[in-house]
Amino acid sequence: MSIFLAQLLTGLAYGMLYFMIAAGLTIILGVMNVVNLAHGTLFMLGAYIVFTFISDELNFWIALLISVLLTAVLGIILEKLLIKHVYGKELEQVLLTFGLSFIIADVVKWIWGTEMQTLPVPALLDASLSIGEMVFPLYRLFVVFIGCLLALLLWYLESKTRIGAIIRAGVDDRAMVGALGINVGLVFTGVFAFGAALAGLSGALGGPLIGMYTGMDNEILVTSLIVVVIGGLGSWKGSFISAILVGVIETFGKVWFPSLSMLIVFLIMMVVLIIRPQGLFGREVA
Amino acid sequence: MKKIFIYTVLLILLVLAMPLVLSDFGINLATEIYIMSIFAMSLGLIMGYAGMVSLGHAGFFGIGAYTVAVIGQYVSNSYLLLLISVVISGLTALITGVVFIRTSKFYFLMITLAFGQLLYVLFWQLKPWTGGADGMSVSAILNLGFGEILSPNAFYYVMGVAFIIAYILLRLFVESPAGKITKGIMENEARMSALGYNVRVYKLLAYTLSGALAGFAGSLYSYFNVFVSPDLSSWTFSGQVMVMVIIGGVGTLFGPAIGASVFICLQNFISTYTERWPMIMGAILVILVLIGKGGIIHWLRYFKDIIFLRKQTDEGAPQNQVKKEEVVN
Repeated sequence: MSIFLAQLLTGLAYGMLYFMIAAGLTIILGVMNVVNLAHGTLFMLGAYIVFTFISDELNFWIALLISVLLTAVLGIILEKLLIKHVYGKELEQVLLTFGLSFIIADVVKWIWGTEMQTLPVPALLDASLSIGEMVFPLYRLFVVFIGCLLALLLWYLESKTRIGAIIRAGVDDRAMVGALGINVGLVFTGVFAFGAALAGLSGALGGPLIGMYTGMDNEILVTSLIVVVIGGLGSWKGSFISAILVGVIETFGKVWFPSLSMLIVFLIMMVVLIIRPQGLFGREVA
Repeated sequence: MKKIFIYTVLLILLVLAMPLVLSDFGINLATEIYIMSIFAMSLGLIMGYAGMVSLGHAGFFGIGAYTVAVIGQYVSNSYLLLLISVVISGLTALITGVVFIRTSKFYFLMITLAFGQLLYVLFWQLKPWTGGADGMSVSAILNLGFGEILSPNAFYYVMGVAFIIAYILLRLFVESPAGKITKGIMENEARMSALGYNVRVYKLLAYTLSGALAGFAGSLYSYFNVFVSPDLSSWTFSGQVMVMVIIGGVGTLFGPAIGASVFICLQNFISTYTERWPMIMGAILVILVLIGKGGIIHWLRYFKDIIFLRKQTDEGAPQNQVKKEEVVN
C-alpha cells in the first residue's frame, strides 16, 4: 500500500510537470495556432540555466526566478524576430520551430556538454514527510502543489480577468479581437513569452526530478504533445486532467511493464482519438 | 505520358553516367542519396499531394530497416525480405492511418510525431531483439539473383534502379485518377466530399503507399549501412527528411529527391569542418523559412521561365512583387 501511494505521488509529480509544459504548449497553440516544436528545448534550457546559477552558489529559488525570466525574454525575442513572420502558415511554423529546437539544443550541448547532470533538490525541500509507515519526498509534494497552484492561477486569469477574456476571445475569433481595437500583436508576444516562461519554470522544477541529459528535450516534447492531444487543443483544463492521467499511468507502467510504458501511453491516446478525435475537452474543429 | 517517358530516360542516363565521373567516396554518397531520395519522395507524396504533414515518417523507415535486420537473420531471400518490409510498414501505415487521418492537421502533426517517437522508444527498449541503444548489425546480404552485392558500385546501381522504380511508381500514382482525386482532396476536401468521393479512403491510400515506400527505403538502408539503431526512427530524423522535402520543393515529385541530394551533400561537407552541423542546419532552415520562396525546384522553374519564356516572366514579374509585399504586410 505504501509503495502504491509513493508511486501515485511520483506519478502525480510527473503529471504536474507535464501539465506545466503542456499548458504553455496548448495556450500557444490555442491562441496563436502555432505548434511550438522548440518547447521541449526551452524546457531543457530552463533546467540548464538553473544548473549554471546554482553552480555559482546562488540560491535555488533565485536561480529558478532567473530561469523563468530568461526563458520569457527569449520567448519575446523569438516571437518578435521570427515567429511573427509565420502566423497562419502551418508548414513554415513547423520548420521554423524545428530549426529553432535544433539550434537551441546544439547551443545547450556546446555550452554544457553531453554528460548527464543532476540538479540538487533545494535544501529547504530535501526532506521527507512520513505519515505512519509511509514516506513521501517533500520535493514531489511541492511540485504537485505548484502544479495545482498554477492550474488555479490559470483558471483565475482565464475567467476573472480582462487579459483572460481577450485570450478566450482570441481563441474564438482572432480577426474580431483585432477589429475591436485590441493590439493582437502584443497579445501574441505576451502569450508566447508566457508559454516560454512556463517551459522554463517546468524545466527548473523538473531538473531535480528527472535529471538533465541530451535528448531530454525530445522526450518531454513528445510526452507533452500527447498530453495536449488527449486533453484537447487549446484547453488547459483538458491538459490538466490528461497530464495527471499520463503521469500516473506512465509511472505505474514503468513499474509493471518497464519496456512498454510509452506504448501504453500511446495506446491510450489512440483510444481517446478513436472515441473523441478532438480530444477529451477539445471542441469540434471546424 | 510522353513527358514522363522523357524524364525517366533522362533519369536513367544520369544514374548510369554518374559512376564515370565519381570517386569511391562520391559513389557511396550517391548511393546514400538514392536511398534518402526514395524516403524523401515518400514523404513528399503525402505532403505535396495529400496535404498531410507528418513528423513521424522515420517510424516507417525504422520499421523497414529493423525488419531486414531482425527477420534477415532467419530469411535469406532478399526479394522476400524486401517484400516483408514493405508489407509490414504498409500495414502499420494502414492501421495507424485509419485513426490518424480522422484528425485535423495540427493533430495529425503531433500524433505522427508521437508515433515515430513511440517506435524509437520501442526499438530502444526491446533490447533482446533489437540490441537496444547500441543498435544491431545487419547479417542479411543483398542478393537479387546476380550474386551477392557487396562492392560500392554494385550497391550504387541497385539503389539507383530502386530509386528510378520508386519514381516511376509514384509518378504513375500521381497521374492516375486516384492520385488526382487525392490532390483534389488536398485542395478542397469539402468539395471532393460533396462530389461523392470517399475522402478518407483516398487519404488513407496515399498514406499507406507513402508508409510502405518509406519502409522500402529503410530496408534498402539497412542493407547498405549494415547497421541499424533506434535513431533511424527518431523524430529529429523525421524532421530532417521533412527539411529535405522543403529544400527541394513541396508539391512536386522530384523536388524532394533534389532536396535529399543537397541536404546530404551539405551534411557531409559541413560535418568534415565542424561539429556544429545541427546548429548550421537549424540556421539554414530558419533562413529558408524567412525568405519563403519555395524549394530549389521552384527556383529552377523560375529560372527556366526566365530563359525560355522571357515574355511570360515580364508579365509574371510584377505579380511576384505584389505577392512579396503582401507577405511583408
